[in-house]
Amino acid sequence: MSLGERPRPQVDRDSAPWWEAVRRHELLVQECVDCGTLRFPPRAICGRCRSRRSGWAPVRGTGRVASWIVNHQVFMRAFADEVPYAVLHVRLDEADDLFMYGDLAGADPADVTPGMPVQAVFTDIDDDLTLVRWRPR
Amino acid sequence: MGLRDRAAIAGVGYTPFSKDSGVSTLTLAIDAILAALDDAGLSVDDVDALATHRVGDSTPPWVVAPALGIPEVSWYLDQFGGGSVSHAVIGQAAMAVATGVARTVVCYRAINARSEFRMGGTGRGVAPVYDAQYQAPYGYFAPPQQFAMFTRAHMLKYGTTHEQLGSIAVGQRANAAKNPQALKRDPITIEDYLASRWIAEPLRLLDCCLETDGACAVVVTSAERARDLAAPPVLISGAVWGGGDSFLSGQGGDFTVSEAARIAPRLYAMAGVGPEDIDVAELYDCFTYSVLVQLEDYGFCAKGEGGPYAASGAIRPDGALPVNTHGGFLSEGYVHGINHVAEAVAQLRGTAGDRQVSGAEVALSTAQPGYVLAGTSALILRADR
Repeated sequence: MSLGERPRPQVDRDSAPWWEAVRRHELLVQECVDCGTLRFPPRAICGRCRSRRSGWAPVRGTGRVASWIVNHQVFMRAFADEVPYAVLHVRLDEADDLFMYGDLAGADPADVTPGMPVQAVFTDIDDDLTLVRWRPR
Repeated sequence: MGLRDRAAIAGVGYTPFSKDSGVSTLTLAIDAILAALDDAGLSVDDVDALATHRVGDSTPPWVVAPALGIPEVSWYLDQFGGGSVSHAVIGQAAMAVATGVARTVVCYRAINARSEFRMGGTGRGVAPVYDAQYQAPYGYFAPPQQFAMFTRAHMLKYGTTHEQLGSIAVGQRANAAKNPQALKRDPITIEDYLASRWIAEPLRLLDCCLETDGACAVVVTSAERARDLAAPPVLISGAVWGGGDSFLSGQGGDFTVSEAARIAPRLYAMAGVGPEDIDVAELYDCFTYSVLVQLEDYGFCAKGEGGPYAASGAIRPDGALPVNTHGGFLSEGYVHGINHVAEAVAQLRGTAGDRQVSGAEVALSTAQPGYVLAGTSALILRADR
């Protein structure tokens, strides 16, 4: 099995620009034009000030591990050769309420620690898909 | 006034629980509905409404009603959602009865959750839920994984331990030993728990509920009418659903607080009681952690103290708050929430046999506390005596 057999993201009309940026190895979040709040996942409105005006802002791709799991059960055959693997819930350095999920790259699941600093890495799966993963920094 | 005591549960019915029912979810629904009507002393001809919830895994009311030959359906509910809406279905039935929209509602949940549709994703694809695109490609999509993530956060913030989680699994198994219809009745020890294999760290096999084939149904009608029927009425004193944060998307990032904390004040206010008045609690236990966090968020102990509280014995049958007296989803079986309501009814009728909590008059029964979809639901039920 390989990364290419993982479930593909079901990209929608809100998320398409985000995935296209990831394809270019750029990590973006939405930024409210009126109150400056950063948000992810993409939405058509700012949940804080209700502004409909937003742009895309680059983030550094750095964060800290807020929580994580080490998965052992093979819930889907595509992951049969990858267990045990870690999935991280990463708090981005730009804001306390800005999170992304991703798997651990370039380290052993047993080495994950609370608050561990991580860096986003971009893994090109095939001609159409790039995934954001996280490595210790 | 709200809904307090205006509607009642007048009947309860089950199918057997198993790993392979050998029948369709339609047949399971029919069996459970007929059993519940029999318990209430009613017939299909008395039914004018059906209500259920599902996530593409069951048979809807508009198939069940004509199959049963219900003469005329005046209201039905086909709610999207899993365990978080289980109690909302019954709450909405109470609302339909209280407003006169319906007279006799049968709420049911029928699933072949082991032989046909496994919640863990095993043998099927990723559920088509919003924001799964940001998680599933990383191998994160199954409920045990999600609850493992929340459990870890609680461990990091409050020092919750594996032994505390294990005490919930061990205690509920002991409860199931006294329940003839429970799937798992052999006692387990904390050593058994700690030796069980990892599913998704920090959760082990014995932290996880059973995947079960089965159905359960309850009859909801007005309190006045219920008093004239065959079984002692159980009043729906509080029925609340709602919430806000979606943990699925990763928004609302504090995994240590569930949506139960948000709805609990409204629930207690509607019923006119507080946590100290609850005699027995059937708390949604898809995983041990969901019990632990609800002990905090429904106000039975301080925030962060769910682990020590559970391990203290307080939730055992002889403790201050007997919890999941039937063994729960961990040991009785998993019918996605409604079997918690059925057990609460048995406790309030005083018909729970060897597991009866002496003098139980007020019960709390709860749904999945809002982690996977944004929101939860719960009922406070009261004996009518």
